[in-house]
Amino acid sequence: MFKQEVISFQNFSYSYPTKRNVLIDINLKVYKGEVLGIIGPNGAGKSTFCKSLNGLVPHFYGGSIKGNVIVAGMNTLEHTVAELSTKVGIVFQEPENQLSGLALTVEEEVGFGLSMLGFKKELIRERVKEAIEKFGLKGLEKRSPFELSGGQQQRLAIATIFAMKPEVMVLDEPAALLDPIGKYEVFSTIKELIAEGSTIVIAEHEIEEIAYLTDRILFLKEGKIISLDNTRNVLSEISKLKEAGIDPPSVTELTYVLEKELGNKFDQYPIKLSEAVKLYSEVLKIK
Amino acid sequence: MSSIGTSLLRRSIIVKETLIHKADPRTKFLFFLWISIWAYIFYDYVLTTIFLIGIIILAIIGKILKRILLSVAVIVLPWMALGVPILSVLFPWNSTLMYKIEIFGWQIPFYYEGFAWGLTWPLRIGVCITSALLFYLTTNPANLIALLFKLKLPFRFIYAFAAATQLIPLLVDEAGTIYQAQLSRGLRTDVGIIKRIWNFLILIVPLTLSSLTKVQIRAIALESRGFSAPVIKTCPYDIRFKNIDYVFFIGIAIATLIMVYVYTVYGFSPIVHLKQYFISG
Amino acid sequence: MEKGEEEKEVIPTGAKILAIVMIPTIAALNYVGGVIVELTKAPIWGDTWATILGTLISGFWVGAIGGFLYNIIMALTLWGLPAWVWGTANIVIAFITWGCMKLGWTDLKKPIKLIIPCIIFGFIYPIYTTAISIFIFGGGPLYKPLPAAVYAAVLASTENFWLANYVQNLVTEIPDKIISFIISLIIVSRIPKKFILVRQRS
Repeated sequence: MFKQEVISFQNFSYSYPTKRNVLIDINLKVYKGEVLGIIGPNGAGKSTFCKSLNGLVPHFYGGSIKGNVIVAGMNTLEHTVAELSTKVGIVFQEPENQLSGLALTVEEEVGFGLSMLGFKKELIRERVKEAIEKFGLKGLEKRSPFELSGGQQQRLAIATIFAMKPEVMVLDEPAALLDPIGKYEVFSTIKELIAEGSTIVIAEHEIEEIAYLTDRILFLKEGKIISLDNTRNVLSEISKLKEAGIDPPSVTELTYVLEKELGNKFDQYPIKLSEAVKLYSEVLKIK
Repeated sequence: MSSIGTSLLRRSIIVKETLIHKADPRTKFLFFLWISIWAYIFYDYVLTTIFLIGIIILAIIGKILKRILLSVAVIVLPWMALGVPILSVLFPWNSTLMYKIEIFGWQIPFYYEGFAWGLTWPLRIGVCITSALLFYLTTNPANLIALLFKLKLPFRFIYAFAAATQLIPLLVDEAGTIYQAQLSRGLRTDVGIIKRIWNFLILIVPLTLSSLTKVQIRAIALESRGFSAPVIKTCPYDIRFKNIDYVFFIGIAIATLIMVYVYTVYGFSPIVHLKQYFISG
Repeated sequence: MEKGEEEKEVIPTGAKILAIVMIPTIAALNYVGGVIVELTKAPIWGDTWATILGTLISGFWVGAIGGFLYNIIMALTLWGLPAWVWGTANIVIAFITWGCMKLGWTDLKKPIKLIIPCIIFGFIYPIYTTAISIFIFGGGPLYKPLPAAVYAAVLASTENFWLANYVQNLVTEIPDKIISFIISLIIVSRIPKKFILVRQRS
């Protein structure tokens, strides 16, 4: 289904200057149009994984690495973060702190990355207009980015990255610091991006959302891959998830518990509410 | 003073569309430099007062008179109020007696040299302050950044300047929040000096920690958006000279010729004829 | 560089951009220091402490440029053209701090070693500010009553213009610089080590 390889981790291991073995022997490929979720307990290496996609790891932090990371045909060790910024866009979890501090308005913030890369004004204007309309920022163009709510700021960050037209968008816990409305805004935005076929890597603690958004999940623990499989399979490994301190989707865990209690055997666990409704409707009919 | 400064950086005044506002920031910046330098070249309180009046007239045109007068009232007038009496009596180069005042049986002489010094220096600073405010309060922040680009300053400096002006009101707000939180935890300001210093510390520490965390995150976000790309950055703003700017330039040129003539013919104190003092000992 | 399974050490490049982002933060913190002084009525200016802090954390250049930037902003927004000269005073402060750091005089655990920096900040640094006060600002009394009173008293008793300015500066700079120095050391001792980019000699 997904043919063109966009990301390739080849025996990749990384240690920060002050912390050893943050990522250990990572091997995986991500294909064009795929949505890869990254889950794991705190300290698993999720953020480090995300930062290794755009070269922040290792260039910004230094440290020691083994293996390679190839993104959109560029080896992250051989290209600077600025060069990789045209291929990979990354959104961090702190909405306000990732604002540039230079842009006076939302419009300028959206065009910030393009300005940094020296794009012409006319092109910047075009892309900014497109991004503003796409991410529901119309009407906010002239506002200061610092006046926006958390959810709006995260949409702004996504719009800024989108305007740079990267091949991969990386979202490092984009909803972690947001209120429920902010989370809703951000996940709605992400769903729209997915619907258009963007290649996305998203690290999240919100397992319920991950179940809906992703094609595959990378489950990390202490820097190592515990599972790398389609979303359903990974989220159905209840005991592994629990051991790592991760709560599976409620409907999945419920089915797992019911399976044990009632002695029923289900072909597969539901990971979404609609699947659970369908499954239990059938079960209740039989009963 | 800091409160004035914060509100200035917040630009709580609604930007107006006057002739001064429409002028190019380069013109206003040039005027600011020009008049400040002339205020220092001449040592003459009447002439410096004329400069100040000129700036006040421009402030009236720019509809920012209140802000300008507030700064003069808070800084220049108190300075003069202390400087004039003290220096009139105690200035080391006093020689020309103006009058004597009797206070508690003592005859206190007031001399002209000290009086002039105490008057002229605050006026000079007043010219500098008011011309700076005229520039800043009538210049749109976008145009200010465009000015920095036009001056061909290194982009890193432009970034640092613009980021600092944006950060200041945010940090002030955060300091206010921390202050309110500490007040609710029993912080008191009507305390002794040591306790006040301690209060300063307990407010500044969380603010600093929060700021340093933000530095790390902002740095990686900037880097991820191509900040370090070795290309000429695109300035999103455009500024162009207009007719009003050319009028200003002509005015400045004429005034410069006049000043040069006055200085050459009448010296550095053309109206009140003050003497130069060599303050080497 | 060879590809393959060998571990490669990578030199970090983040320090440059961290410095660029740190500079406006120092300028802003200097500014906010003044605001907090107003709120708490602390007996200091509070607008150079971040220069000292920035130097302790990120080195001389970051502290100096951050402090200088603060004065440029003040010159453009409030104090006018002459105020940029105070930016050079911030450079001097950064230099003194850097020197003390290199000589191991910034360790709170060894308070004896803090005496010399306090003397430098309190008595030697004001020589520079006295020169600025006289040549750029006329050398008259400050617009604050206590320093002005001290100025008048010294001038009346000694008739020495330089001495009057120097003592007036001492009245403001001794508490401000020494307290700012100590406060900065306290803050540096409390922040996580990952924020400190320079090696400190103890």
